[in-house]
Amino acid sequence: MRRITWLFFFLFAFHLRAFAISIAEIRKSLVRITTTSQEPNFRTPWTPGSISGGVGAGFVISGKRILTNAHVVSNARFLSVERENDPKHYIARVLQIAHDCDLAVLSISEPKFFDGTVPLPFSGKLPQIESSVSVYGYPIGGERLSVTTGVVSRVDFQLYSHSAADSHLTIQTNAAINPGNSGGPVLQEGKVVGVAFQGYSGDVAQNTGYMIPVPVIHRFLKDIEDGHYDHYMDLSITTFPLLNQAQRASLGLEEDSRGIYVSQVASAGSCAGALQPGDVILSIDGHPVESDGFVQLDGERVEMPEVVERKFKGDTVDFDILRDKMRRSVTVKFDRPWPYQLQCSQYDIRPRYVLFGGLLFQPLNRNFLETYQIDDLRVHYLYDFFISEEIYKEHPEVVVLSSVLPDPINTYLNDFRNGVVENVNGAKIQSLEDLATAFQKPADYYVIKMLGEGRPIVLERAAVEAAHDRIQTRYKVRADQNLRDAVETTTAEN
Amino acid sequence: MNMISRFFAAGALCAAAIAFSPISAGSARAATATAAPVVVDKQEKVAEANKDQPLSAVRVIVTCQPYDQFRPWSKRPPFQHRAVGAVLSGSRVLVTAELVANSTYLELENPDTADKTPATVERVDYESDLALLKPSTAGFLDKFKPIDLADPSVGDDLAFWQLEPNGTLLSTRGLLTTADVSRYPVDDTALLLFRATSSLQTRDGSFTSPVVKGGALAGMLLRFDPRTQNADVIPAPVISHFLKAAANPGAYAGFPRAGLLFASLRDPQLRRYAGLTNGNGGVYITYIARDGAAEQAGLQVGDVVLAVGDCHVDQDGNYRDPRYGKISIVHVISTQHFDGDVVPFKIARKGQEQTVSVKLSHPDPAKSIIEPYSIDKAPRYYILGGLVFQELSRQYLKEWGPEWFKKAPERFIYFDRYQAELFKDDPRRRIVILSHVLPSPCTVGYEELNGLVVEKINGMPLKDLADIDAALAKSADGFHHIRVIGHPREIVVDAKQVRDVEPLLIKNYGLPEIKNLE
Repeated sequence: MRRITWLFFFLFAFHLRAFAISIAEIRKSLVRITTTSQEPNFRTPWTPGSISGGVGAGFVISGKRILTNAHVVSNARFLSVERENDPKHYIARVLQIAHDCDLAVLSISEPKFFDGTVPLPFSGKLPQIESSVSVYGYPIGGERLSVTTGVVSRVDFQLYSHSAADSHLTIQTNAAINPGNSGGPVLQEGKVVGVAFQGYSGDVAQNTGYMIPVPVIHRFLKDIEDGHYDHYMDLSITTFPLLNQAQRASLGLEEDSRGIYVSQVASAGSCAGALQPGDVILSIDGHPVESDGFVQLDGERVEMPEVVERKFKGDTVDFDILRDKMRRSVTVKFDRPWPYQLQCSQYDIRPRYVLFGGLLFQPLNRNFLETYQIDDLRVHYLYDFFISEEIYKEHPEVVVLSSVLPDPINTYLNDFRNGVVENVNGAKIQSLEDLATAFQKPADYYVIKMLGEGRPIVLERAAVEAAHDRIQTRYKVRADQNLRDAVETTTAEN
Repeated sequence: MNMISRFFAAGALCAAAIAFSPISAGSARAATATAAPVVVDKQEKVAEANKDQPLSAVRVIVTCQPYDQFRPWSKRPPFQHRAVGAVLSGSRVLVTAELVANSTYLELENPDTADKTPATVERVDYESDLALLKPSTAGFLDKFKPIDLADPSVGDDLAFWQLEPNGTLLSTRGLLTTADVSRYPVDDTALLLFRATSSLQTRDGSFTSPVVKGGALAGMLLRFDPRTQNADVIPAPVISHFLKAAANPGAYAGFPRAGLLFASLRDPQLRRYAGLTNGNGGVYITYIARDGAAEQAGLQVGDVVLAVGDCHVDQDGNYRDPRYGKISIVHVISTQHFDGDVVPFKIARKGQEQTVSVKLSHPDPAKSIIEPYSIDKAPRYYILGGLVFQELSRQYLKEWGPEWFKKAPERFIYFDRYQAELFKDDPRRRIVILSHVLPSPCTVGYEELNGLVVEKINGMPLKDLADIDAALAKSADGFHHIRVIGHPREIVVDAKQVRDVEPLLIKNYGLPEIKNLE
């Protein structure tokens, strides 16, 4: 797994260019978004979290909406939007947000906001390599609208660092994209070809900025037409290129250069039951798949997952496969997104936890790992191999004892931090709910067995009851547990 | 009071030994008029002492050449270690095992006469890090005085012996500060270890050296850190155990273990839960090793160990030793007993006390599914068409350097750390891995593969590398199907092409042989 460090851009820079007519109209439809956000606190999850904020860009699209990046408005508690030549500050709300492709649409409470604006038109095709583009936004370097220009350097699948777990099509440009450009449009010949959203810092790579291309934007806008964002669909399989002649011959493949090998099919994914490890995929929706995993799509040579990128919940995809040397057709229906989000950075959530006897239990996920910087081999293994080893079958949630609030009841239990809970009084713990339920059952002793070798944690019921109020008062804990991860705020509409 | 004045006097002697420059500095003498005569006097006494008595220390020069675990058909470049060995009775020399690990050539050198002789390793125990050398020339050690074992205690003055380049014995004072059970370097074995402070000067030729008390051997130097001035010393009782076991004519049986792990019983809630109503000692058994002494004796997880033999075990697993004070009970089990000794363990099971006879045993490291160490032995490997198969071992993982537990493939580190839990009932003898690929016409498309665990070849599960030949014979379709855990699940090579490409691999990559299954 490559681990690339990305930077997020929330500040400013300035640059003007003469492109008379387009600019005037474009400028009317550009907005500057100021976000006040509250980050969830995973270390003391009963507290509301620290307040911070930032600035990004956005632009007017059809339906009296503003399009911007999800990372500009994540965890928002208050959104304020400004236009050029307009002194007013307008209050905005998030209509829909997609963390898996870093896009969001906002509405404005004041209906007159959209007077004089024109929804920016989207381009019908991907811009050519080496063609010119202009990036509009409010990056560092000044307070007013900025334009930077460059060319299209590359069209490629890249990791979207907002969720840190999703890869989609991106367009790379050498036009300067800096903090504050996020959410702003990238235009070519008066049409939007992308939304500027991430880039490399100067000491890692120069002139390397990225925009979310129109196909990804269109998919998002189409998905939310029914008022609900259904997320990207995923095949949840791993494939291996069939470049070795002996392997090809043993699978019964002809000498041509088609076919990739299915090495793993996640049992919780869309292809479970339809595809099997050992299958060879010859074509997807009629497009032949070449032996290095690429297909021809709309005149471009793209990776096979791009076909699935364009699917929606409820859609199907057809495969021509070779199984045991016989050709077959298989159809996969996308009826649910991949259910396990633990490897994605999550937003607009409240941390789930259970506090018992001063012991804090939390489910393992990316946000949790980043907060605690845990160095434990078992925890890292369960996280890194969660999908490939199907750890979710035994542990749909990996419940970790993350910290101990010191009290006489737990004064001998510090060595248990970072342990993973296996069972409580013999009841297997597969989720935080299981743990909460086990602690609610009356018992003389609560015997908590962790994964691996070691003694059990033993808490006597009388001691737990006596410690409860003491710990709540001492550490100002407002609630013993939170099992709901949704956040209710007034910045989002459902 | 006596000890302190003795120490300071000794300190002066030490300083003199290092600062002393023979005779010439007349002015220096004048400047330190009061001190000088005393210094010279003592130094001469030491020199005279050296001349009168034959030495008990001999120089040991070892050439080592470990195997390259990543290119298991070749060895890394040779390097040399120089050390000072202790001459024991029976014409033997004691050194640490780390000195002679992967040794190809050993020499003993008389520090006085500079006479040399080759030597061989007669016995080596990597767990206690000790080795006995035997000179190839009979009578070579006749001029030396064998040293006996001492009986040191915490607070004793120790003399750290080193040899100057001209062969003079250099003796530096140190203070034995602690004695407790600690982890030894090679296999994390837990045995008694002395810690001493000393202003030892780093000298070439001190990879290990004798540590002496009153003319007798108190220990062998294991490690010295000049920044902290702390020396780790393998203690006399551990040496004594090694020598006794080494004297047995049969195979060497190492330091025995009880085959269990325990946790402290300080937590009163745990104590009550375990049914302990009185007293405040005992430890809670958390793990019983498969085929270990505890399992054979019928001990169970959850039992509380209250005493081993006559030694009462406290809630942290320590007992009161008459010489060393509060130290771990592991010292009693591993160093005060020998493989095969039957020792009564007083335990409490669900509050009921009983005594269980435990026959202590030394577990054979070769029986572990992931060998803890493999020294002086060529690693096994099997090259199939360019695919390099090996057996996972900690020696292999250590090839990733001092931070191997962070740098080696995560799945392998996880397997090694938790092997007792993960492979408890696994029928395999070893875990076969595809280590990496030597590109050849057979392996097009597989060049980047590395660090994969191999489950089967041609449908036959592999118990270790030696099974590969039988698995290859099972090929039914002219191909070899190699099934691995995780991505990419299976790779395939052509059976005939694999045979044809063998001479090409041997020639291109300079392989001495295509496989080693010794």
